[in-house]
Amino acid sequence: MPEVLKEAMEEGEDTQKGKFLTFIIGREEYGIEIRFVTEIIGGIQMITEVPEVSDYVKGIINLRGKIIPVIDVNLRFKKEAKAYGDRTCIIVIDIEDLSVGLIVDNVAEVLSIAEENIVPPPDIRAGFHHRYIKGIGKVGTAVKLLLDCNKLLSDEDINTISEIA
Amino acid sequence: MDKSISREPMLEMFIFETLQLIEQLEQDVLSCETCNQLDSSAINEIFRIMHTIKGSAAMMMFDNIAVLAHSIEDLFYFLREEKPHEVDYSKICDIMLESADFIKNVVSKLENAEVADNNAYELIDKIKEYLLVLKGSSPIAISNSTDPKASNTGSEQQFYITAAKSSPDLKQSRFHAVLFFETGCAMENLRAFNIVHKLNDLAEDIEYDPADIIENDNSIDQIRNKGFEITFRTAKNCEELENFFLNADLVQNIDLNEIEAEDKDQLVPRFTAQRQIILDDTEEELPLKPVEKLPDEGTKSSGSRQSIISVNVNKLDQLMDLVGELVISEAMVTLNPDLTELINLDNFHKAARQHRKIINELQDVVMSIRMVPLTITFQKMRRIVRDMSKKLNKELELEIIGEETEVDKNIIEHLSDPLMHLIRNAIDHGIESREERNRQGKGEIGKIRLEAKNEGGDVWISVKDDGAGLNREKILQRVREMGLAIKSDLDMTDREIFNYILLPGFSTKDEISEFSGRGVGMDVVVQNIESVGGKVLVDSSAGNGTTTTLKIPLTLAIINGMLIQVGESIFIIPIRSIKESLRAKEEEIIHDPDGNEMIMIRGDCLPILRLHERYLIQSHVEEIQDGIIIIVENDSKQLCLFADSLLGEQQVVVKALPRYLKKINGISGCTLLGNGRASLILDIAGLINH
Amino acid sequence: MKTVLIVDDAMFMRYTLKQMLEKSNFKVIGEADNGMNALIQYKELKPDIVTMDITMPEIDGIEAVRLIKKVDPDAKIIMMSAMGQESMVRDAIVAGAQGFLVKPFNEEDVLKALRKL
Repeated sequence: MPEVLKEAMEEGEDTQKGKFLTFIIGREEYGIEIRFVTEIIGGIQMITEVPEVSDYVKGIINLRGKIIPVIDVNLRFKKEAKAYGDRTCIIVIDIEDLSVGLIVDNVAEVLSIAEENIVPPPDIRAGFHHRYIKGIGKVGTAVKLLLDCNKLLSDEDINTISEIA
Repeated sequence: MDKSISREPMLEMFIFETLQLIEQLEQDVLSCETCNQLDSSAINEIFRIMHTIKGSAAMMMFDNIAVLAHSIEDLFYFLREEKPHEVDYSKICDIMLESADFIKNVVSKLENAEVADNNAYELIDKIKEYLLVLKGSSPIAISNSTDPKASNTGSEQQFYITAAKSSPDLKQSRFHAVLFFETGCAMENLRAFNIVHKLNDLAEDIEYDPADIIENDNSIDQIRNKGFEITFRTAKNCEELENFFLNADLVQNIDLNEIEAEDKDQLVPRFTAQRQIILDDTEEELPLKPVEKLPDEGTKSSGSRQSIISVNVNKLDQLMDLVGELVISEAMVTLNPDLTELINLDNFHKAARQHRKIINELQDVVMSIRMVPLTITFQKMRRIVRDMSKKLNKELELEIIGEETEVDKNIIEHLSDPLMHLIRNAIDHGIESREERNRQGKGEIGKIRLEAKNEGGDVWISVKDDGAGLNREKILQRVREMGLAIKSDLDMTDREIFNYILLPGFSTKDEISEFSGRGVGMDVVVQNIESVGGKVLVDSSAGNGTTTTLKIPLTLAIINGMLIQVGESIFIIPIRSIKESLRAKEEEIIHDPDGNEMIMIRGDCLPILRLHERYLIQSHVEEIQDGIIIIVENDSKQLCLFADSLLGEQQVVVKALPRYLKKINGISGCTLLGNGRASLILDIAGLINH
Repeated sequence: MKTVLIVDDAMFMRYTLKQMLEKSNFKVIGEADNGMNALIQYKELKPDIVTMDITMPEIDGIEAVRLIKKVDPDAKIIMMSAMGQESMVRDAIVAGAQGFLVKPFNEEDVLKALRKL
């Protein structure tokens, strides 16, 4: 894991606010609030397939003795499946006791984005993944799509989860 | 009681211990009832139990329990000491059980934080009355039952104070002291005795008034009103004497006079002192320590004879988890893929085997810690049989077999209610009335057999009665009435028909009795049992009786699994579900019109389930003869699974699938393999029933 | 800080007494549920004070007092008795107990009695 990331994660939650881990999917850059990220795993071998699940759920992996599910964000966004390369990583996020791994093409860096530089997403119905965007972050001239983790692990899915739980 | 002591843990403790003692008491009483006598060890034990409960209840100010316990204590004291001849044991047992119920009732209210204001006056009167009867008929009349006679100890009636060894050289003086104890302190006569006893070390020629302080309780009044007078001779000086007396327990007032010459009337007052009640002057300021929390008590009490300690259940759970992880990590080490590249690993393998052996032993021991014998649960049933026997006027005999069989502690809590229900059913519905049984030549005594045994990773508990059995026709009729019939009558096996009674709301009883008939019982039993992974089976024979069997897994956490390869995936089949495995030939496969594959095995036609098809896994192995057939069984139903190959046996720790994933039919959980990969465990019951 | 060994066959009594003592300047260093264990614990732990219940299975409080006094004549033992146990208390005092408390007792009584030893 890159040093700067490690440091960012070791900070307290308050100082983690406003810090985002950015990663690349397809041609866009996305960001996730660092406070949800528990770790990054380089490489995607050792995924055990699980039958009868949605296509974007790739299976389960062993994370130091804990078994967690991993989802392919590309497929989650209903984009075309992308082949896994040597930069492909799994970002492990932890929301309310639920741990899930996100397969992304590439992890970029940790950025601080101030509140005033975040604008709400435009109301265009373009692209399925719009539903998962919490806001648009401006960093210099670049733009990062900031993801809503809760929604990512999805409304419909969460309903199913609570049914089982 | 000092309110500053938190009540909660103390109340918990009181409830826990009291219930345990009452359980013990009930067992003693019930076993004595069958022999129609109370042997001396039982009497002793019951006496002690009541004495303990009295003490604890008094501490907690639960007077209703304390007074009841006290009266029973008196009764049993009499039984113990006087050993009267004409004792109505049946009456005593009734009284005891009634008392036990009363106490349980009060405790139950306490548990639910309700006001426990019931009183046992009637019961206490009954007990006192019977005690009088016993005393009247007993040749040895006792004047005061609360005063244990000194004659019991067989020792002196008179009490002699031995002379103190004093040095004749020191000048000795005679003193006369009058002392008063603090108001409200009890047993002043004994406190006086204590002082005299201690004075012995310092003085000689001790005389005191009242003289009869042990035997005579009236001395207490005299001491309270007129004080306790002592005359003695000692070399000690006034200061030392003052210290001595004032430091004596609960002495409030001391009047000490020296006696000149031999004339007692010539008293020279030496001191009159009064001890300050407030001790705080002399005590240092003590920092208050926080009240320590007592950990939750574990399974057994320390009152029993074996050496047993109470353990915090959380610690046990932690221990179980760690052992589970140890088993996984052992596999990760010894089956590590890195090793496949190394040669000459003999020493390593030897060490690994030893390692494995020790871990297995550790696992066995840890599992066994959580295992608890069914004894107490089973013995509780005796009470129910007894009560119902009396209520329904049926002669009953309960046979218990295999009560030493052990079950996981978690599971045992779910067994009590179901078993009670089954026993009640057997007695209420199953066993016929005396007349009916006589008519059938069955013998008046209805027999109920409660049995537990260990078999193949499960515990089998059965309740069997020799009563009327289930009425097949009536059930079928009810099934039709309720519109539940799926197959035609002829197609249903007896077992299937009988298992209908397990459905909610199902009842063939026309009337509802106090005990049953509402149709809400059996399905709750099923729920309870299924919640711990078990199963309920009903079997019956008209006119001969019914047997209800509970099948419960011994433990859920670690299982022996067979690894199988299907394409790139590895699955695990619980070994206990596997009957056998074999290689089949294409010719042996039968296809039905729908294209389903089947195979004949020893006369049975079994369906084949191709796992790679079921789970849409890419596999190179498609031909029957290239793969392997594994015959699995669940609840007498069998299925053939088709996989690529068998990889070997391994112990696996069963982990639940992550919550994020929906429940998948045929998968019961997952685990980690030696190579670190996650693997899915097949749910055989689910696959078979799909 | 004085050390105490609590002897009583009832778990509840041991617990209650321990609570009372540890709020004050006493440290409970051991518990025993019958006379034999009391002797064993006494020899091992050498407490300053022993609180001893009278009625216990196998070896009762009085016998335990005798045994302990044999091992250590200076042992300081307080009996916990119930009403109606006069002759037993007497025996205990003869055997060497320093004093006694009558159940049910309250915290004040207990502390007073123990402080005096």
